[in-house]
Amino acid sequence: MSAWSLDEAFVVALARTIADREAVFHGFASPCAQVAMHVAKRTHAPDCLLIEGATYAVDPVPVFVPPTGNDLALHRDAVYRMRFEEFFDAACRGAVDRMFLSGGQIDGYGSTNVTAIGGMPHPKIKLGGGGGGGNISASIGALTVWTSRHRAGRTLVADLDFLTDLGHRTREGTRAELGYTGGGPQWLVTELGAFDFDDEGHARLRALWPDVTVDDVAAATGFALRVALDGADGLLDPPSEAELAAVRAVDPLGVRRSEFADPELARTFSTAAVVS
Amino acid sequence: MSAFHLGGDKRVPLAEAAARVGDGALVALGGGLCARLPMALVRELVRQGRRGLHLVGSAHSIDVDLLIATGAVAVCEESYVGFEQDLGLAPAFRRAAREGTVEIRESCCATILAQLRAAEAGVPFTPVRGIKGTDIEGLHPEYARMTCPFTGEELVVVPPLRPDVTLLHAPVGDAHGNLHLDQPFVLDERFAHASAQVVATVDRIVPTAELVTSGVVVPGHLVSAVAEVPYGAHPSSCYPGYAYDRPHLAAYLAAATAGGTALDEYLARYVAVDEDTYVKDVDPGRLASWSESTAAWQELFR
Repeated sequence: MSAWSLDEAFVVALARTIADREAVFHGFASPCAQVAMHVAKRTHAPDCLLIEGATYAVDPVPVFVPPTGNDLALHRDAVYRMRFEEFFDAACRGAVDRMFLSGGQIDGYGSTNVTAIGGMPHPKIKLGGGGGGGNISASIGALTVWTSRHRAGRTLVADLDFLTDLGHRTREGTRAELGYTGGGPQWLVTELGAFDFDDEGHARLRALWPDVTVDDVAAATGFALRVALDGADGLLDPPSEAELAAVRAVDPLGVRRSEFADPELARTFSTAAVVS
Repeated sequence: MSAFHLGGDKRVPLAEAAARVGDGALVALGGGLCARLPMALVRELVRQGRRGLHLVGSAHSIDVDLLIATGAVAVCEESYVGFEQDLGLAPAFRRAAREGTVEIRESCCATILAQLRAAEAGVPFTPVRGIKGTDIEGLHPEYARMTCPFTGEELVVVPPLRPDVTLLHAPVGDAHGNLHLDQPFVLDERFAHASAQVVATVDRIVPTAELVTSGVVVPGHLVSAVAEVPYGAHPSSCYPGYAYDRPHLAAYLAAATAGGTALDEYLARYVAVDEDTYVKDVDPGRLASWSESTAAWQELFR
């Protein structure tokens, strides 16, 4: 019998959104995405081009994932390190296939707010800020959006207080109307379930974690829920032994766990049944 | 007189280096997140009571937060200020944003890059690929939109960004201001070329021949002053010398979050003192243990 925790299955789900032979990037302050990229590289996507956020190292083999994104432990033995401008040029011209994005708020079209709760100029809570997302979310091939804070009900909202990164639609129109070439959000993975985006560019619930119901998701979601439960291409299926081994090897300090509220970290599953 | 900084021995004491940053200056901060931040220069600016600074940079942490906490900043144009998932939001930055004591002109890494390139190339604007349709655009009345004469696309265009001074910390440099950096360089090269001057600290001054063997990343002709300040990036990392000082960063965050006497005590102990006293107190030599073993390295992050 195999057993695993939600945080482990969560990064595996993110990893499964990466296809082999994609160039993939994560932003900083994103341990789940960071671990997921290395899990993909070590399992189903050995030929992805893995670009570390904040160090811009290409296909590094981290000694371990440290809790800060610009650290030598991530890239010590990397064969190549892109310059900052080399990465951003590649992303802006459309040469990067996938990026992971999260946010303090995410709307139904997958746009995110990483700038301010309560809006600018005098926010209730100033979040860290968007890094490079305001440009490269427009041009990168596909986006995997995630949040580990869906359940509290404040993250998936109908209207953002501030739009930092581009989903499928803004107040000014659709991506096509804005002239953007990137494909926008493809998946939205949360600690409750997995969404893709329908023909209108709106999130659509495709799968649930085993201990979650549609009512749980509806109660936590600020936009009207669209539901098409079909397993989401197996994104949330139990992790394989190889995937679990990769998570544990890449992230011995458990930095991925810093993204979750304590009750979520207590969620465990096994091949026999849901344990709790 | 040349726009470059030519000739001679550019070594100065830290106080003289920091004195090249005037009140109200447009200041670019080198390094990124919690790595290779020019912290000794930041502490010296606080000691000298600098006011009204306009900060620009990509993703930063205690450098920006400490300057805001001590009232040195009027405008913050960074793309990110925080301590990642590890230690969380930046307390002084967050408070200043809420209370409106610092103007937050949040920018985007790729936009800052485009603006620096306009400055480097001597052209009046550069187009960017994104930003249109985001609320970042609304924080920047200096941006404009323009229809491309070749394709008809409407793009956001941004003006040059020419910092008055770039503050850098490097592990090694020479007396002429030539600097060696290890990657990631983040925006340091672009800042150096776009700015009127670079003011640098280095952990060690070495002979030019030794520096050339390591590789010069920022050439001395862009640098107006260099001060030798061992551990000048602490509590951020400057490998191979020292890793990130997680307990010290956590202590700063606790003090800055509490404010009042807790912050005053932090500032009195770590900022009001000279750098020799600071180094004796924080004992950064222990942060070299990262190179002993993987277990020792991991221990620094627990």
